[in-house]
Amino acid sequence: MREYLNNIKNSAVSIFEGLAVTLSWCLRKPYTVQYPDRVPKPVQEMLPPGFRGLLEVDTTICTACMACMKRCPLGVICIETDRDPETKKNFLTRFEIDFAMCMVCGLCTEVCPTGAIRHSTDFEASTWHANNLLHCYVKPGERIPAYRVVKDQEPQGLPQNAPYFAIKKEWDAPALVSPDAARGTVRWKPNKEEVA
Amino acid sequence: MKNWFDSLIANFQLDPWVMTLALGFWLLIVAALVLVFMASFAGITSWLERRIAGRMQSRIGPNRVGLVGFWQWLADGLKSFLKEDVIPDAADRTLFKMAPYLVFPGGFAAFAALPWGYGIIASNIDIGIFYVTSITTLVVLGILMAGWSSNNKWSLIGGVRSASQMISYEIPAGLSVLTVVAVSGTLNMQNIVALQGGWPWQWYFFNNPFTFISFFIFFASILAEGNRTPFDLPEAESELVAGYLVEYSGMRFLFFLFTEWANVWTMSALLTTLFLGGWQIPGIADLGAVIAAAPFAVKILWVAASIAVFFIKTSVFVFIVIWVRWTLPRLRVDQLMLMCWKYFVPIGFVCLLGSALCVVLPQTGLWQWFWLGMRLLLTGLGFAIAIGLIWRAFYNLRAMKDKVYIKIWA
Amino acid sequence: MKGTAESLQHDTTIVNMGPQHPSTHGVLNLTLTLRGELIEAARPKVGFLHRAIEKIAESTQYVGFIPYTDRVDYLSAMFGNQGYCMAVEKLLGIEVPRRAEYMRVVACELNRIINHLIACGTFAMDLGAFTPFLHGMREREMVNDMMEKICGARLNYNYMRFGGVSRDWVPGLDKEILAFLDRFETFLPEFNRLITGNEIFVKRLVHVVPISAAQAIKYGLGGPNLRASGVDFDLRRDYPYSVYPEFKFKVITGVGYRGETGDTFSRYMVRLDEMVESAKIVRQAVEGIPEGEYLAKVARNPVVPAGEVYTHVESTRGEMGFYLISDGTDKPFRCKIRTSSFCAMAAIPEVIPGFMVADLTAFFGSLDVVAPEVDR
Repeated sequence: MREYLNNIKNSAVSIFEGLAVTLSWCLRKPYTVQYPDRVPKPVQEMLPPGFRGLLEVDTTICTACMACMKRCPLGVICIETDRDPETKKNFLTRFEIDFAMCMVCGLCTEVCPTGAIRHSTDFEASTWHANNLLHCYVKPGERIPAYRVVKDQEPQGLPQNAPYFAIKKEWDAPALVSPDAARGTVRWKPNKEEVA
Repeated sequence: MKNWFDSLIANFQLDPWVMTLALGFWLLIVAALVLVFMASFAGITSWLERRIAGRMQSRIGPNRVGLVGFWQWLADGLKSFLKEDVIPDAADRTLFKMAPYLVFPGGFAAFAALPWGYGIIASNIDIGIFYVTSITTLVVLGILMAGWSSNNKWSLIGGVRSASQMISYEIPAGLSVLTVVAVSGTLNMQNIVALQGGWPWQWYFFNNPFTFISFFIFFASILAEGNRTPFDLPEAESELVAGYLVEYSGMRFLFFLFTEWANVWTMSALLTTLFLGGWQIPGIADLGAVIAAAPFAVKILWVAASIAVFFIKTSVFVFIVIWVRWTLPRLRVDQLMLMCWKYFVPIGFVCLLGSALCVVLPQTGLWQWFWLGMRLLLTGLGFAIAIGLIWRAFYNLRAMKDKVYIKIWA
Repeated sequence: MKGTAESLQHDTTIVNMGPQHPSTHGVLNLTLTLRGELIEAARPKVGFLHRAIEKIAESTQYVGFIPYTDRVDYLSAMFGNQGYCMAVEKLLGIEVPRRAEYMRVVACELNRIINHLIACGTFAMDLGAFTPFLHGMREREMVNDMMEKICGARLNYNYMRFGGVSRDWVPGLDKEILAFLDRFETFLPEFNRLITGNEIFVKRLVHVVPISAAQAIKYGLGGPNLRASGVDFDLRRDYPYSVYPEFKFKVITGVGYRGETGDTFSRYMVRLDEMVESAKIVRQAVEGIPEGEYLAKVARNPVVPAGEVYTHVESTRGEMGFYLISDGTDKPFRCKIRTSSFCAMAAIPEVIPGFMVADLTAFFGSLDVVAPEVDR
């Protein structure tokens, strides 16, 4: 009999406590960040430095050492070089990253001597066609001279806000979305209250 | 509604068969009106549930379709209409198709006897409350049919569980209703409301300690009737993947869900009618006399006020039903049965006898003060529980050092 | 149903709690033989999430395999990293700087906290209480943001390297971790008020599928599952590794809270209390972290001398062991990963008969089995 009444009392008290907790959450601010448009500043700017976003390559400072290609566990990077017999200079003829396979582990960015391959703050990788996920950094037929590291000099790459310069290799699939849309198609508007 | 029809027709001298035709036509209009009401309430309850559930889980509910996501339920309904009608190959086609059409009227027919305001009731039958509790049992048949005809062992388990649960919980529900009926003496819905008063201590909830207890029993029992958590084992999402509904998709699935949400509204309306004084406005002793004495325009205002009071009280209970759903875990099936037969039924019987006893005790003279004092005490207890909940919620807020944020439209 | 006439003659039904099921925490299959609601037999089928990680190890460089160890158990990825790095470090014979060890411990114990948040949250969700899961995820978000600052990613960390960790802490991170721990201390009592103390929850879980200590040891269970059955065993204390001996923490053993030792509620409570202990460890580590290097000098593509080694870490689910055989090249010869969820799956057929389907859901959630760990 005592257990019977105890059960009723325990149920009533614990249900009361539980209901109070849920009610208290009704009165608090929701934790949701309404990405991508109802945020005070674009999410790309809210990311911490060192965020491992999608890769990007600055071919002006690439030394064609192929360290990233050898390090990649999945074989996502494909680099081909061409050596000019007279001048003994290295040229990049092919630099492709396949984002269908890249798991953004960051191993390649750790070994790059100049920081040519690095993470961007982009994380929206979806495209309308799977073949558009193959990013090429050397136009077909182009030869980019490999950067030669000068001792005690920081490699000067392209400036920070240079446009995203990957050329998506199109096979049979037409690019339905222009390369500029890599940064997201929904334009954000600052939410007036949250900006203040 | 029948009275309105009679008063409309009274001026005309018509043949009997024309009268019958007109009556039939009138009934169709009323039924369509009730159907529209039910559909909108079901949809709005679903929207409300998603928003409230979101806030309780520290997230926002739907907020893109319409200003606060208000048209989400219409969008979902439209999407379901356009979905492909998938019927499993080995399922019993006739029963599969028929099951939603039994469940839906089971929920919808209860709307015909709910008292929305003074004189606003679709059908004022003398066995009002008895009709409501029995017509909702039609749902059991539909659920069993759905579970069986899906040709899926999981849905069969769910259907059988649901049938046993709903049938068992009819009894405590009926006992609680009888507890109130013992005090009121009538089964007629409008009369039950009319016999209560406007002030809280005149409600049947605080009438005597036994109706107080039977309120909670009735609340739990009709939660079980409507397959709501903590009694939603038949459609337990994580155990049986929607139980008896697992093979349904598109609009057929929505029929079941519609009924569940409309049932939330019916539950709350029943609670309001039986225990909280329905459409009685606090402060007005006899609404009928006030309305009879007022000019026509003011009459409409009073009726509208009574409808508004009913809506407010029902909405509070809708919120409570949703609140309970998103707080409590599920009961296991044998614990459910145990609770019904070992806790609710005995206590329900005790309440019934006690309430009958309270009715028999004298009500006049010095006893008047005794009863008033008892009712005021119970009112205080009831409001203490409510205020205690709110106070405890603020305690939780302070314990986690959070700030209050009530913008529900964000 | 067609053809049901003869199946009505038998008493038992065979049901597939199949690969697609909201409560099996991944793609697992249990073939149940039911008599009404009672389970007579349960046969687990595994392999739906097999990704051949161990085979891939044989053709990947040692460093390149570290991201794969994240994905063995993605909810407690740091432990996979640590186990593998410890194995290779033993073969290479290098010593990890103290600062790096402290950073590893902080990362691992934070990972334990957030994993148990998900474990307890999804456990409650399986039982029908949908809210605690989302509250747990909200707290997890704060830690995810910290992980983003630590290593750049929120789920698959790839944080540890041979000889230390990949990056140093950004300034201000220790204050952020301490602020989170302060908030976490206020969060857990509220979580307990919401769900742990709830009578319905307790009644669902006490006396449900008790696993005795002997059974737990026989099946090689580990971690909270083992300790809840009363066995006082913790790898961090009994086979110490890393800098765990420098921290003061309690090993939570189940004592039959409101039920009996080894039942479902006991496993749940052990996880809750372990979160508190992990918070203590993190606080001690953050406050006492020494200055120094975060990575020892190791070749970029190490050639590991031939040999074999077995290392184990106290992961969130139990013992995660790495058996590494090297043949002197820059790719492993064999890397075998021993996970606790696999053993937990094996224990199910023995302990579950006699309980109901609803109990199976509760029990399965309390074992904290994740499919990727079972199948690798």
